Amino acid sequence: MDAGGVVLSAAVAGFFAAAVLAVVRPKLGYAVSLAASLLLFAAAVEALAGGAVHGLAWSGPLSDPEGLALDGLSGFFALAASVVWIATSGYSIAYDDRRSPLLAICFSLTLGSIALLVASTSLLLFLLAWETMTVASYGMILQARGRPDRVFSAGFVFLTFGEASTLFVLVAFAGLRVGTGTFAESPLTAGGVLPTLVFVAALLGFALKMGVAPFHMSEWLPIAHSSAPSNASAVLSSTLTLAGAYGLFRVLSLLGSPPLWWGAVTLAIGAISALLGALFAAVSEHTKGLPAYSTIENNGLILVALGVAMLARAEGLTDLYVFALFAAFFQALAHAVAKTALFLAAGWTEHATGSFDLTSVQGGVKRDERAGFAGTLAAALSLAAAPPLAGFVSEWMILESLFQSYQFVPAWVQFLGLVAGAAVALAAGLIVIAMVKFVGFAVLWDPRGAVSARRSRGLSVPIGAVGAVVLGLGVGAPWVLRFLAPAVSAFAGRPASAPVGGLLSVPNGWSILSGAPFGILSPPMVPIALAAGAMVAVGYHLLGRRHRRGVRRSPPWMAGSAPGQPGEVFTSFGYSTGLRLMMSSVLGTREIRSGAGPVRQAELATPVPYSVELEVLDVFKLFYDDLVRAAEAISSVLKGGVMTGRLGRYLAYILLVVLLVVVYVAAAFA
Amino acid sequence: MPSWIGQSFRRGIVTTHYPRVPATEDETPLTARAPLPPAGTVPPAAIDACPVGAISDRAVDQGRCIRCARCLAHGFRAAGPVEAAVARREELEHPGAPHGAGDEAAAPLRELGRSLHVFLVDVGSCNACNLEVLALASPYYDSQRLGVFLTNSPRHADVLLVVGVPTEAMVEPLRRAYDALPEPKAVIAVGACPISGGAFRGNPGLRPTLEGIVPVDRFVPGCPPTPIQILDALLDVLGRARAGE
Amino acid sequence: MTRAGWRLVARDDFTRTPELSPAYVDPAGELVLYNDLATGEAVLVHGSPPDVDDELRAAWSSTARVGELRPLAPRRPVEGYGTFTFPYGPISMGVPESGRFDVLTYGERILELTPIGGYKARHVLESVTGATVRDAALRIERLAGNFSASHVSAFLAAAESAQGAEVAVEALWVRALAQELQRVYNHVHVLARIAEAASQNVGAAQAQALAEQLLRVQGHVFGHRWLFGALVAGGPAPRLDRGGRSWLAEALAAASRTFDELWGLFLDSRTFVDRIQGTCPVPRDTAVRWGGVGPTLRACGVAWDDRLRVPGLPYTDLFLALPDEKGGDALARLLVREQEVRASLLLLEQMLERWPGSGAGVEPAPPSVAAGRGLGRVEGPSGDLVYDVTVRDGTVVALSGRTSSQANWPLFAAGMRDAVFTDFHFALESFGLVFAETDG
Repeated sequence: MDAGGVVLSAAVAGFFAAAVLAVVRPKLGYAVSLAASLLLFAAAVEALAGGAVHGLAWSGPLSDPEGLALDGLSGFFALAASVVWIATSGYSIAYDDRRSPLLAICFSLTLGSIALLVASTSLLLFLLAWETMTVASYGMILQARGRPDRVFSAGFVFLTFGEASTLFVLVAFAGLRVGTGTFAESPLTAGGVLPTLVFVAALLGFALKMGVAPFHMSEWLPIAHSSAPSNASAVLSSTLTLAGAYGLFRVLSLLGSPPLWWGAVTLAIGAISALLGALFAAVSEHTKGLPAYSTIENNGLILVALGVAMLARAEGLTDLYVFALFAAFFQALAHAVAKTALFLAAGWTEHATGSFDLTSVQGGVKRDERAGFAGTLAAALSLAAAPPLAGFVSEWMILESLFQSYQFVPAWVQFLGLVAGAAVALAAGLIVIAMVKFVGFAVLWDPRGAVSARRSRGLSVPIGAVGAVVLGLGVGAPWVLRFLAPAVSAFAGRPASAPVGGLLSVPNGWSILSGAPFGILSPPMVPIALAAGAMVAVGYHLLGRRHRRGVRRSPPWMAGSAPGQPGEVFTSFGYSTGLRLMMSSVLGTREIRSGAGPVRQAELATPVPYSVELEVLDVFKLFYDDLVRAAEAISSVLKGGVMTGRLGRYLAYILLVVLLVVVYVAAAFA
Repeated sequence: MPSWIGQSFRRGIVTTHYPRVPATEDETPLTARAPLPPAGTVPPAAIDACPVGAISDRAVDQGRCIRCARCLAHGFRAAGPVEAAVARREELEHPGAPHGAGDEAAAPLRELGRSLHVFLVDVGSCNACNLEVLALASPYYDSQRLGVFLTNSPRHADVLLVVGVPTEAMVEPLRRAYDALPEPKAVIAVGACPISGGAFRGNPGLRPTLEGIVPVDRFVPGCPPTPIQILDALLDVLGRARAGE
Repeated sequence: MTRAGWRLVARDDFTRTPELSPAYVDPAGELVLYNDLATGEAVLVHGSPPDVDDELRAAWSSTARVGELRPLAPRRPVEGYGTFTFPYGPISMGVPESGRFDVLTYGERILELTPIGGYKARHVLESVTGATVRDAALRIERLAGNFSASHVSAFLAAAESAQGAEVAVEALWVRALAQELQRVYNHVHVLARIAEAASQNVGAAQAQALAEQLLRVQGHVFGHRWLFGALVAGGPAPRLDRGGRSWLAEALAAASRTFDELWGLFLDSRTFVDRIQGTCPVPRDTAVRWGGVGPTLRACGVAWDDRLRVPGLPYTDLFLALPDEKGGDALARLLVREQEVRASLLLLEQMLERWPGSGAGVEPAPPSVAAGRGLGRVEGPSGDLVYDVTVRDGTVVALSGRTSSQANWPLFAAGMRDAVFTDFHFALESFGLVFAETDG
């Protein structure tokens, strides 16, 4: 165990200690979590910069070694997670005003379990932490304020999907154990159907946790249908899904060279998730539902990048393989950080206005809230892929890797790359709508011009800090990529260097190269170019100041009507209705009217009031509803037919099983 | 589509060459020219004949004239200049005086360069002036060839064209429209209604003129003025050469 | 007040049937005029109106109080998540006049549209009390400039009916000529506006050019592009001598050829037709129940045109075919206007051939009774206009009326339910509504 390992072990232990301390004083628990996150951050930096970090080690069941360690891959995920946790823990200190410590306990437990599973060197420990994570997050969701039946049902859906995920992960790990003979994370060299089984089970299990299509209901429903506390939502959306991604990456790193169809399946799932997530986000009216849908989109993008990487590896295109991996990692990092800020902003708004509804939340930004606003804006723009932020760089990298799908040999793979690229581009457009909606209606806009509810400064500063990190990641992307190289190397199993270089008088190492040669982007040059352009404008302004008339403020033009009457302004719902109507076949849009007479005709009856609702739905939910109905039907059949509760019947079952065992043993020894 | 192209070639070009050439007869019907008293003396019968009291024994107020042509039966002749737009209201009572050269009120908006964006505000018109303003965009006049564009928003405009007699309900909207124009800006009162109330002078619920609501830079008399006359006022604001200069 | 084609009924003998469409409601509550669509008669009911809806009365009232704004169609309260009402106007893009539309929507789709009038209320009809008929006509002309000939003709018909005056035949023919010229101009103008809204810029420019041509024709013949003073004694003398008539006939023949070509090209354009087909449909029952008028009414399949019923004007001697459309949408209204253009051009041709008289100016007819009350109706370009005037000793004592736009606003509001934002301008232009004559 080295110095870094001590820090690592202390971090993991710290989270669990925080959970215990939170029983007595919740805010103390958050503070200790904050400290533990800082320690984890330090350990992760050490793991990436200075080589693997080894913490506590002991011998587990079946004498398989277990312990805590961070190599490049887990170091990266620990880094991303710890950045999120630093901000969220700090935020929680100001945010959580409840008397009950349950939220703080579950919060720290969740953080601790994720830290444990990222740091674990053994599949068994991973699984244990995985399950603890699910239960602790379930606990967090149950702390929602709202109607008890809705809160419980939302939590139950989450738990169901979580347990299903554990089941598949269990199968995958069992397969790995069988194949490698140990629980320690070691590469699988066996052939045959085992790698495929492991891959499919792992993909299903971790995709369930990541909340990608067709399992995206596990992501949006608990967050949007229950008013789970915002720090919980931030952790759930950012780091739970990050844990899922880590699991998938880890298993893939143990599986060796993938056949073509693995990459194709991953790419397809990712592209569909990206599109669906962006579309649902653009028509969402919930301040937390919207970011939850955006998480679905972003995780889809991670899978898209991973899929391209796997395809490239199967085709032997090493440059594309490495580049796509960097894209996937950077996307995961950019998303985790930006999404945190968005959820914290939702909580910030809820703290001030008490509402999660975009249509009714309309709050202006006051002077000492500018940090929070700037942070929210930076995070939203990053998710909308605006330069020079982190999301822009990751989106560029993903699109560049998709553009290069012409390099694939089989025509169907090229076609898949094309279609996936179109889906990703469309998703990028739709998410812009969603982010404008979020920033505009939740944070920025105050049509009444009056003083609205004051927002807490303690909540504003962490959001601003996260926004600054997002900007820093974007502008400093080439250096971040170099810093992440060990993670990619650990995953690929071979040394990989960051795709950075220089061209056309941009200094070497300041540009990202997407191929050799293909595309180039220099993120640090973007603010430099913007500043240069701004200087021209400023110079023009200063030089011509004598001739100008000064500034005159004029109210907005409302076609001659007085501006700013309450109720006469576009609602957030109205903003997206065009999209609801255009995509009505995908969204299942329908209008429900009640309380009126002949409403579908242009009939001018005496004015009878009526009400109208325009609804959209997630068509995948219909599938799950059917599944639930089928499960209930089967279980009632079984209950009625098989598990009748009569002792005689059960005795008969026992006898039958004994008979079968006798027959089996006899046959085995015959 | 070939058929539209063929049709267009057959129609040919109908756009006027104004202001390079003077206004033609079919661009200027009888009532487009202001009625002038014969040889400086005002026949007494004409004073009673005018329904809006534009004629007194000393002067004829062209700002009030609604072009009903009744005074033509009492010695007046429809002989006023086509280009009748002026910068000061008083000039309409002394028609025929030259445009105030070197007059600051009549200074054109040089900062706008060679093009003008125009926004129409109807404060209470009969719709005839509105349609004459819209005719500026039609092929016969094509104001765009002279750099005059009609806009849909006051934020994009340099000039406000006001038509109609100001009703109480439209006072605030007009002020808001004026406020929405970025500077430099100008206001042109088109027709007898905003200049003097036109045929509805004295009706309840109406302001007598635009005074006190927005400052007016040009007055174009007529009921309604022809598109040529409105165009002339716009060219004057722009500082381009008017017909006859 | 009786004349052929009108039926007088006392209040107690009156029963409202579905085919009786309200045409005019006297503000003092003394009489109501109905159109009997079954028999083609106008039914005048004496006494306070039995069952004319209050909303109708409110929608038709032209005398708003000073500064008062009022809805031009009944509002229907709607609630729902995300709905809001925003004001479009009074100075709105694409609507050349001033008037407001309150749009209730949840985004993209219009749930309820309420036009708000009163921004342009000049109180014209109130203000002519005490003026002579001639001076009153000057103001009535300028109520709605593009309908001036129809308004003046209706007013003069009412005043002459009140005074028992006999009008010279030629004077009546001049009125009909003026009205038909303005009808053609207005229909071509509507076509230009709809084409512009559909971004058919070449077609719109061609139609605008044709409209300008017609204005110049009017200016040449009557001395004023909008026919101000043309039909009232003392105005400029019209050029309707033999030479003038043949000039006019040639000009109209050229316009007719241009219009034929233009119309053919428009109808070929699928994108153009697509924008107006199905837009703002008005059902026949709504149009009849709410007293719709003009091309809007005829586009719903109701064959009512004042020109076939009003004596004095020469229409009954000339050939006039009514359009035959039933769609009730913007396309049907445009098709009706097209057919009316052709019918009007044909009427003008016939009138110019058979002109009775030498083309001298119009002289006022001498009254035969000192005081009286009369109703006058003509078919304006956008529909039936009704004037109700009381005259004593050549001076107007009381004046009220119902204009074509006042009757059609409720139909527009009804048709716009469930339309989308982009349909708005097509629908509005297809009705040919004028705020100036609505607000009075």
